Amino acid sequence: MSRLPVLKGTLDLLVLRALSWTPMHGFEIVSWLERAANASLEIEDSALYQAVYRLEERGLLQAEWGVTENNRRARYYKLTTAGRAHLRAETRNWIQYADTVTSILTATKTGAPSTAAT
Amino acid sequence: MIRAGVRRAFRLALRRRDRWEREVEDEIKLHLSLRAEQLVAHGATRDDAYREAARRFGPLTESRARLLEAARHREQRMHRTEYLDDLRHDVSFAARSLGRQKGWTVVTILTLALGIGATTAVFSVVSTLLLHALPYPHADRIVFVDQQPSEGNGTGIKVTITPSGKVVRAWMQNARSFEALEGSSSGPRMLKTSGEPSALNTSDVFPSFADFAGQHALRGRMFTARDIENGGRVVALGESFWRERFGSDPTVIGKLITLDDTSYMIVGVMPSALGVAPSYGRRVRPPDLFLPLDVRDDKRGMSLMGRLRPGVTIDAATRELDSIFARSGGFTGGKIPFKTLISTPAQRVRMRDSLLLLTAAVGLVLLVACANVAHLLVARSAARQRELAIRAALGAGRWRLLRQLLTESLILAFLGAGCGIVLGWAGLHGLIALRPPGYDDIQAAHLNAITLWVAIGLATLSGIAFGVIGATQATRYSTHDTLKSSASSVSASGRRHRGRALLVVTEMALSAMLLVGATLLIRSVANLQRADLGFDPKGLYAVTLPWGGERVATPAPHTATTRELADRLRQLPGVRSAAIATVAPGSRYFTIGRLEIDGETPPPRGTTSFIDVNQVEPGFFGTMGIALVEGSTFSDTSTAARQVIINAGFARRHWGGASALGRRLRVAENDLSGKPEQPANSEPWLTIVGVAHDAATTGPGLESSAPMLYTPTAVAEARTVMVRTNGTAQALTPLAALLRTMGFRRTSRIESTEAFLARSLAAPRFITLVLGIFTGLALTLAGVGLYGVMAYTVTQQTREIGIRVALGASGSRIARGVLGRGTWLAVLGATIGLVAAMWATKMIENQLHGVTRSDPLSFVSGAIILVLVAVLACVVPTRRALAVDPMTAIRAD
Repeated sequence: MSRLPVLKGTLDLLVLRALSWTPMHGFEIVSWLERAANASLEIEDSALYQAVYRLEERGLLQAEWGVTENNRRARYYKLTTAGRAHLRAETRNWIQYADTVTSILTATKTGAPSTAAT
Repeated sequence: MIRAGVRRAFRLALRRRDRWEREVEDEIKLHLSLRAEQLVAHGATRDDAYREAARRFGPLTESRARLLEAARHREQRMHRTEYLDDLRHDVSFAARSLGRQKGWTVVTILTLALGIGATTAVFSVVSTLLLHALPYPHADRIVFVDQQPSEGNGTGIKVTITPSGKVVRAWMQNARSFEALEGSSSGPRMLKTSGEPSALNTSDVFPSFADFAGQHALRGRMFTARDIENGGRVVALGESFWRERFGSDPTVIGKLITLDDTSYMIVGVMPSALGVAPSYGRRVRPPDLFLPLDVRDDKRGMSLMGRLRPGVTIDAATRELDSIFARSGGFTGGKIPFKTLISTPAQRVRMRDSLLLLTAAVGLVLLVACANVAHLLVARSAARQRELAIRAALGAGRWRLLRQLLTESLILAFLGAGCGIVLGWAGLHGLIALRPPGYDDIQAAHLNAITLWVAIGLATLSGIAFGVIGATQATRYSTHDTLKSSASSVSASGRRHRGRALLVVTEMALSAMLLVGATLLIRSVANLQRADLGFDPKGLYAVTLPWGGERVATPAPHTATTRELADRLRQLPGVRSAAIATVAPGSRYFTIGRLEIDGETPPPRGTTSFIDVNQVEPGFFGTMGIALVEGSTFSDTSTAARQVIINAGFARRHWGGASALGRRLRVAENDLSGKPEQPANSEPWLTIVGVAHDAATTGPGLESSAPMLYTPTAVAEARTVMVRTNGTAQALTPLAALLRTMGFRRTSRIESTEAFLARSLAAPRFITLVLGIFTGLALTLAGVGLYGVMAYTVTQQTREIGIRVALGASGSRIARGVLGRGTWLAVLGATIGLVAAMWATKMIENQLHGVTRSDPLSFVSGAIILVLVAVLACVVPTRRALAVDPMTAIRAD
């Protein structure tokens, strides 16, 4: 199974989802995503950090320095209230979008809109 | 995890930028090592693991730069948000805390607004009239040049002489102090059209004037020196005249128009921006027509304006023009008949002294307002001392409290400035609406950028200053003491209380100064209005014929015209009498020379004095309503009879109580060109045949007992006919109709003497009114201030009063206590203010008539009004003190 590139904007959503259970540091997020996607998503690690900073800037995440199990200093991220609301709304949008696109792509010929050709 | 407080303490130790940059590095490092460890755990070798970790992270340099950039962005935004949050918090806190005391907030904002509004309105007028430059290039170097008699002017008014063409020529050829000198002469001319001839405003200017003013012709060209060589029958149209009368017709160039019987060729159209500066005031109005002024015309006087060379002082220029005048006129020995008088445009603004007076007055009002706001804030911070102490005890830092108080003060200041600007705008329009007739310059005043910035600057400064006052007051006392002592304790507030009392005394003193000034001016205006004029202005008109100009060859035909006019006027219905005179009310004509009285030692040679002269018909005194104290009017108007009538002031000065009839006098006149007088004995003696009552024909403000001579009109170039009508409005119509039928070439003028008198009173009345308003403002503010202090005192002393009442003090005793203190503050303030006023009234001395600047009545009434206001301000606090119930007061707390 080849690895899929991540669609623009969905990385943010995935990060928020990762943090929806518990605060994590950067590498924890990366590992969680790899586990959850069964290594089928192609994500450059630095891109993830960029997404995290962006989310923090927008007030959807909050960062705090903490200590890992192995006693290393790490920056822990947690979802803010705004972040939680954003995740909920965006998840709904994403599912709706994905359903719509799926239904169009998998529809039989008779159901296709006649004006689709451009 | 580390506690937030500790983290914050850590953070502050590092510089912001270092901190987040290092954080990003740490995060990357941690990520790479964790990834490598993960790979090693899955069986990779250490080296492979690190290589793979770096690969998955992405190109390191590039990624790091991107992450640093993202982090920088994040930090900036979060910093901003934090700052805005704090600000929003401060503002909303301030708004809530101000809203809790609505009455206090409104009074404070209104006080500020009144002070700033009054200042803004007056400063707008002053800046427009005094500070704005004339619309010419290098306006800061433009001056007006006049001459004035070197000596002998004892008339009490400034006499200036417009220099003649000959003098101007000498100056233009020799003066090094000026880049340019521009002469001008403005006046009406009749435009001959197919219908009724119409009067146009025309200005005669040098051909160089357009260049001087930095303007170019819109159409055609400005006239040139060559045009003057060729006879000078050319004219340039003003833009608005061209648009209105010629419908912007571009083909007018080269056409002819007829002015006063002479044809002129139109050579160009000049833009509206080209205007001639008036002798007084700032409104440079574009005339309808420009005509060439020939500097070689010796007989013509002209207004002269010049642009000084950079760095040349007015003194130096004056000395140079004086010496050129002396040389060109052949005056040696350092004595010249006329001195040069150079003045800046600002010095020639009418009502300049009054405007400066109003500026000073409005400054006092602003001071009173500031003092009031200061002690309102002090009072508030005193009342909030417990609140602030509690907040300090709960951990709010001194800086945090100060910032909070500053925010409140700035909010107050800006609200005050906002309302002040609105008030100032309204006030300015009020001033414009109330302007005296003839002072249309004020109309150009507007709220300009400078004024607005001054207002905003004042507001910000006062906000900061008052905030600091409040803050130092509030934080001066230790938290512990404040919390321990009860709010109603008397002893703790002693020092602060003295500070507030001092502010009230200051307000009272400033108000007292304004009160004295306003009272003096009101009394002065009342004197002017009541003054015995010595003649009857009701239904009296002056009909003045236009100068025939150079086209009248000899005086004779002109006098004949005046005689004919007077005769025909007498026959009109509604006209009781008419008499010819050379000088109409409102004007003066002097003979300048040496006055000799038969039987008195003649003054030394070279003495000059100014003596008012009016050449009149015998019926003049009857028409004017001037009573004759002695003798009768002229019985013989022939030159040979040499009769003269003097005024009572003249007679008193020379003969005291004795009769002046039959005495003889003569004036050895100075030649106007400045040549020494003729030998005195060649001048014939004039015999006094009558003494007329002193008449204030020059206006109610001027001395009517100044020496005055009336001589018969026989040889005069009289142009004025004084007409006594039955006083009804209908009498004027036939006058105007008659003038039209007589067909004079130029505009004649009919002026109501009553209107002239009203006009001459309008300016002092305007100033008095405005000063009165300011005084009222200052008094109100001071009253509010005193009320605040007294109300506060009573609240503070509630318990003490309660105890005194319980111990048997009577109501009147309690009332006396409160009233006494309030009055004492007012009296103290009034005393200081009156002492200051003794000095400050110097400023208005020259604007006072019939009242001296140390007038006791004004000072006493000022003091009384101030004390009355103080008593009024104490009424409510006194009643509150009387209403104190001893039981509640003692138990409270």
